[in-house]
Amino acid sequence: MKPADGSIMNETDLTGPILFCVALGATLLLAGKIQFGYVYGMSAIGCLGIHALLNLMSSAGVSYGCVASVLGYCLLPMVILSSCAIFFSLQGTFGTMSALVIVGWCSLSASKIFISALDMEGQQLLVAYPCALLYGLFALLTVF
Amino acid sequence: MNPAGLAAAAGTPRLPSKRRTPASPPGMADPHQLFDDTSSAQNRGYGAQRAPGGLGYPNSSASPQASFMADPVSNMAMAYGSTLAAQGKELVDKNIDRFIPVTKLKYYFAVDTVYVGKKLGLLVFPYLHQDWEVQYQQDTPVAPRFDVNAPDLYIPAMAFITYILVAGLALGTQDRFSPDLLGLQASSALAWLTLEVLAILLSLYLVTVNTDLTTIDLVAFLGYKYVGMIGGVLMGLLFGKTGYYLVLGWCCVSIFVFMIRTLRLKILAEAAAEGVPVRGARNQLRMYLTMAVAAAQPLLMYWLTFHLVR
Repeated sequence: MKPADGSIMNETDLTGPILFCVALGATLLLAGKIQFGYVYGMSAIGCLGIHALLNLMSSAGVSYGCVASVLGYCLLPMVILSSCAIFFSLQGTFGTMSALVIVGWCSLSASKIFISALDMEGQQLLVAYPCALLYGLFALLTVF
Repeated sequence: MNPAGLAAAAGTPRLPSKRRTPASPPGMADPHQLFDDTSSAQNRGYGAQRAPGGLGYPNSSASPQASFMADPVSNMAMAYGSTLAAQGKELVDKNIDRFIPVTKLKYYFAVDTVYVGKKLGLLVFPYLHQDWEVQYQQDTPVAPRFDVNAPDLYIPAMAFITYILVAGLALGTQDRFSPDLLGLQASSALAWLTLEVLAILLSLYLVTVNTDLTTIDLVAFLGYKYVGMIGGVLMGLLFGKTGYYLVLGWCCVSIFVFMIRTLRLKILAEAAAEGVPVRGARNQLRMYLTMAVAAAQPLLMYWLTFHLVR
């Protein structure tokens, strides 16, 4: 995998992430699930947890805005998954497989940006695992 | 002058990595000096760069931006807001170090993927590993990245969170799920962990053992059993009760052996750690304590998971 450019996260913005969270809530609404509160709550707590973990694991510190920005931007594939959930139910083998693929996609891209921005070597899978847990929670919301 | 200063600033950051490893504590004067040099060189460099650029700045700014920035009230508001935020951040940073020893915790999270893989393998199959001694480097233990025997907090923390999620999943497949049950599981597991740590600290105090086993080390060792618990519950979800008992039994025995071999080196005296049987009531008491701690692990593993698998 090509390493991402480390200067991506020099400016952190929260517009995109908030837009994606709203889009996720909207697509869930279209699928019949009114779960805005869970989306916001889980993203806030998840960002807090990953911020604490990254500060402990990396030599350079990371700000909360940077973490929220990266996690929010990498939530986009989850919006794709929840828009699929509008048209057909995801509870089945195909649904589970696609949810797993999307969770893997989100967490690998988030961890790639984190390790290139924070200059952590040999820890991509270690950063990807907590991100996968967080995105797995979102996938649970989407599927069930 | 400035290119030379910048080159010196670029050259100096490499020196601390060479100078600090042979003598870590006494070398405190040098890094401070080097910090001052690089920041002042950078400031000089930035100041020089900004001056010619500053002349061109007012010309390039767009007019709506200029009108917004020129408004003194919004200028003041922005300045006030940023100082407030900076003050708040300072306050949090100052106080958080009082409650949570962040630098000590950073040692336990200095892990990499290879270490985690090897440690997980060791937790499941500790029978072939020969050398359980933690390597030291001038009185401080080596970071977990470099020694597979060193305790870390990444695996216990991740295993704890995964255990709560897997418990939620297990309850969900049995239609017993509700979000407050998840919170209940989390707090009960945390309560058992706290109880265990306090009980072991109390018994270590009563037996008057002089060990270098810190509380965080103890939390790390006690957190390793969650790995086996996750494996057991997942197998129980996939293959029913037989799968659960098989995997849990295997993980219980492995964690028992792992704890005995690790704690023996920390709690018992050096002579006993080499396998030589030592007489004396003191060492026997320590051996009993180690075995009690190790035996408590399988019991807790069973107690915290059996209600999840039906």
